[in-house]
Amino acid sequence: MVREPVTLTGANANPMPEIFDSPTEWQAQYESGWLAHYEANGAIDWSLYPRPRNQEAVGGPGIPLAESRLLFVTSAGAYLPAAQEPFAAENDLGDYGIRTIPSDTPLAEIAFAHTHYPHDAVNTDPQVLLPLRHLESLRDEGLLGELAPAFVSFMGYQPDVPRVVAETAPRVVAFAKEAAVRAALLVPA
Amino acid sequence: MGLLSRALELAGIASVVTSWLGSVTRLTKPPRATFTRLQRGATLGQPGDAAQQLRVLRATLALLEQDAPLAPITLAEE
Repeated sequence: MVREPVTLTGANANPMPEIFDSPTEWQAQYESGWLAHYEANGAIDWSLYPRPRNQEAVGGPGIPLAESRLLFVTSAGAYLPAAQEPFAAENDLGDYGIRTIPSDTPLAEIAFAHTHYPHDAVNTDPQVLLPLRHLESLRDEGLLGELAPAFVSFMGYQPDVPRVVAETAPRVVAFAKEAAVRAALLVPA
Repeated sequence: MGLLSRALELAGIASVVTSWLGSVTRLTKPPRATFTRLQRGATLGQPGDAAQQLRVLRATLALLEQDAPLAPITLAEE
């Protein structure tokens, strides 16, 4: 098992402080509870897991959807098996990387590396999690301005929240800026 | 997803999340959210039910036109 701890000290203690209120306190609780139990027993006890919380919601202006480019973001573990490595779905400590996939990819070419949700529904109808064709139809009818050329996928089993803040979030934000989107739709699995 | 939604909003990108697990998503205080009673692994609707999936999408996307933060909206979808 490879563990890549994030050191939460100094100027990099919380690179995006408004995302998560108390990363240092959270990490101490995580390491002494959930993680210590896992490392001692090789088993997960979710009763020990501290759910991430914030006190205040963040704000921002609304956008004219019909004139805006939209980024779709999924945590379903979607990837392109012909061109990309799958996520580390079997790693009990999670995978904090992202994949970007062309938005016009045929759904049959996309696979899912994520072992923490049942795949029956998505195997039957991928649009229960990846609404790529629905979003195209909403664009075509004028509800959306346009879709970003690619969408962002990650594997949503990510127990180490400060790593989400330090690794996953900046990658998603950087891609969103590169794609020059005004809006984002996030669909967890 | 709630934390990523916050990160995007703070970067100047209006964001919205839809969740079948509002009790947990709500704790992260995302800027905009819809909550349903759908199931894990089928966040947007039942497989094969395109009408339901589109209802969830339309209701969720509509929130992007409103200034955040918004109180989460509960949709009657299950």
